[in-house]
Order: sequence, then structure tokens, then C-alpha cells
Amino acid sequence: MEVPTTDVASAEAGWEGGVSPFGVSWQKLMMWIFLVSDALLFAGFLAAYGFERLASPMWPEQSEVFPMGVIALMTFVLITSSATMATAVGAAHRADLRKATRYVLLTALGGLVFLLFQVNEWTGLIREGASLSSNPWGPPTFSSFFFMITGFHGTHVLIGVIILLLVALRVGAGRTAGSGVELAGLYWHFVDLVWVFIFTCFYLI
Amino acid sequence: MSGHTSYRTYWITWGVLLVLTLSMLFVEATPFTRILAVLFLVAAMMVKAFLIGGWFMHLRFEKPALVIPIVFGTLLTVAFLFFLIAIDGAAMLRMAEP
Repeated sequence: MEVPTTDVASAEAGWEGGVSPFGVSWQKLMMWIFLVSDALLFAGFLAAYGFERLASPMWPEQSEVFPMGVIALMTFVLITSSATMATAVGAAHRADLRKATRYVLLTALGGLVFLLFQVNEWTGLIREGASLSSNPWGPPTFSSFFFMITGFHGTHVLIGVIILLLVALRVGAGRTAGSGVELAGLYWHFVDLVWVFIFTCFYLI
Repeated sequence: MSGHTSYRTYWITWGVLLVLTLSMLFVEATPFTRILAVLFLVAAMMVKAFLIGGWFMHLRFEKPALVIPIVFGTLLTVAFLFFLIAIDGAAMLRMAEP
């Protein structure tokens, strides 16, 4: 059956009812829905962590367990990578694809550096006896929450780096427009946003 | 995105985020009253989250129909989750005390 032209146009626009109520493409809306659901997942992790801390009579002093200088450096790297990503999105929207590719690659590099720091942090703690079920500093849940929360976030960073490398390849080949870079950017900023909460709730408070 | 942010704005945002992070580390390392330190850390965390959401993720350019469910919907759900669980956790600690 042949599809009427008007139906094709409305299907391409992504909305059957005329004007888009949110003023964004369906891809961007889907990305936001994914990010909100992922945010609630991290919120669940952090809420469970908060519960455990409040219910535990003692909890290790974070600054005595974690190398705070390295954590600060990891935060600096992630914030900087968010700024380079925002610059890449801005360049892509201005159709400056060379600059966009360069900054997407810089962002991916930032992600890789962050992951290297995290591997270093994990191996250091594992050498000191930390595992999912026990640790030398206090309640076993201290290290299990640490590995679960930072591991889940680190996986997001790793996926983000892979996405960024793919986006850089596609932008370099002229196969992705500004919207593609913007979607990758939304994901990357979300990874940074989640770290803001982990950094404060897990390492500082 | 319905507007263009200048590159300079992104890097100013980066600078503010950096200053906030350094001030959080300073407060954590300084022997302030615990409750004041926690209040400052939570406030700084929220400001950082709004800067990233508004300036880097361009939420300040989006329609309220998109921004309100994302920001307030998520915040309300998370706050509800945290407060319910926090009350429960504190009650368990009281029960465990001799």
C-alpha cells in the first residue's frame, strides 16, 4: 500500500499531532528519557548508600581511605572534558566539523585519563584488601558500595568514550551532523553530572 | 538547541565549576561544624548540577514543557526517595543502639 505524502512528512517529523510539544527532535527526547531513567538508577544506588551510612554505627573516614588528591584530579579531568564536549557541540552547530572532531577526540582522551585514574584507585584499594564482601576499614558494605557505584559510573564513562570515538569518526567522515554530536554531548555531560553527585555524597560527605 | 552559546561561556562555566570543586575540597579538609560543612557541600553540588544541566546540556534554551518534567520531576522523585530512606536508616540506627 502506498503511503500518502502527508503521512510520510509527519512520520519524518516524528509527531502525528502537528507541532512538537517539546520543541526537540524525537532522538533528543528519547535521549532525555534514557538519561532521566539512568539518573533514577544512580539515585537508587546513592539512596541505598545513604541508608546504609545512616543505619551503620560507624563508617570509615573517606580521606583516610581514598587518595583525595587523585579524586580531585579525576574530578578536574571530567569537568574539563565536559567543557571540551560543550565546545565540540558548539562547533558542530556552527558547522565547523574540524573543530568539532578535534574537541570530541579531546573529550574522549579526558574520559580515558579518568578511567586510568580509576583503574589505579581500584587496584590500590584491592591491594589493601578491599573486595565486594570485605575491607580492612569498617562495614563490608563500605567497599561493596564503593565498587558498585564507581564501577557503574566507570562503565558509563567507558561506553561514553566508545561513543565519542565513533562520533569523531563519523563527524570526520562528514556522516554526522550537529545533532549527532549534541546527543553524544548530552550523554557525556550526564556522566559528568552523575560524578558531581558521587564525588559529593561518596567521597566528601 | 534553539540558541548558540559562545565558547567563552562554556569555559567560564568550567571555571566556576572548578572553583566550586576546590571550595568543596577546602571545606572537607577544614574542621568546620559538621552540619555546616554538609549544608555547604550539598548546596555546592546542586549549583554544579544546575550549571552542567543549564549551560552544558543547554536546558536553559529548551521549552518549559521539556525542562519542567526533566528537572522538577527528577528532583522531586529523588528527594522523595532520599528522605523516605533517610528516615528509615536513622530509625534503624536508633533501634540498634543499646
